[in-house]
Amino acid sequence: MDILSGIASTDSALTAQRTRLDVIAQNIANAHTTRGPDGLPYQRRVVSFASEMQRAQQSFGSNGAGLSTVRVSEISNDTTPGQRINDPTSPDADSRGMVTLPNVNLAFEMVDLISASRAYEANLTVAKNSRQMALKTLEIGK
Amino acid sequence: MALIGAALPISAQTLRPPLDLAPARESFAPKSTGGSTPAGGAFGEIFSKLVTDVEQRQAKASEVTRSVLMGDNPNLHQSVIAMQEASVSFGLMVEVRNKVVESYQELMRMPV
Repeated sequence: MDILSGIASTDSALTAQRTRLDVIAQNIANAHTTRGPDGLPYQRRVVSFASEMQRAQQSFGSNGAGLSTVRVSEISNDTTPGQRINDPTSPDADSRGMVTLPNVNLAFEMVDLISASRAYEANLTVAKNSRQMALKTLEIGK
Repeated sequence: MALIGAALPISAQTLRPPLDLAPARESFAPKSTGGSTPAGGAFGEIFSKLVTDVEQRQAKASEVTRSVLMGDNPNLHQSVIAMQEASVSFGLMVEVRNKVVESYQELMRMPV
């Protein structure tokens, strides 16, 4: 039994949002990486989430719905082609002097960063609220 | 004393309450829940289980915190949540202890 209500869901959501933040950080860090370990320019990574039933025996109400948690289901590559620029001085330029840049758009990444950060904060607020509820409940006896 | 005793012929027999307290007393006794093992047992046993549980939570919290500090676990929130769980369950244990002591003192104050 969780002594803090719903903390398993919040915990999993915080972990998932943290992973998302890590992936966004990776995208921003590699916004100008024109050569990866495979010799190709960096491809933007996208995180997708999936919900997961946990501890089905603990059900809410009579319909038997269990506590649902979230997990990172997949970190996939964004296959949109990157911008091609002419830069013959680059070591990664092809025979015609063209370089393919990563398909990372910093503006999009910033929006994603804010969204992930706010989602993390929302889950932190839920955790804080559960704690306050538990402490208030203990005050019944005072 | 003898005068009062004569005026009010109260005997031990008439002072006895009409209620038979035996069934009520029985209902407070710990009951077995029908399974092969009783659910609770003595209060001391339940309380010691509670203390063990709180101790386990605190051990888990320090374990998670250590793994975060050592860099094995990147999830800082798990450490904080484990600490809060330990803290809240400790608070619950203290609350139960306070209630027990309060009841004991109440009983000791009871005039016999």
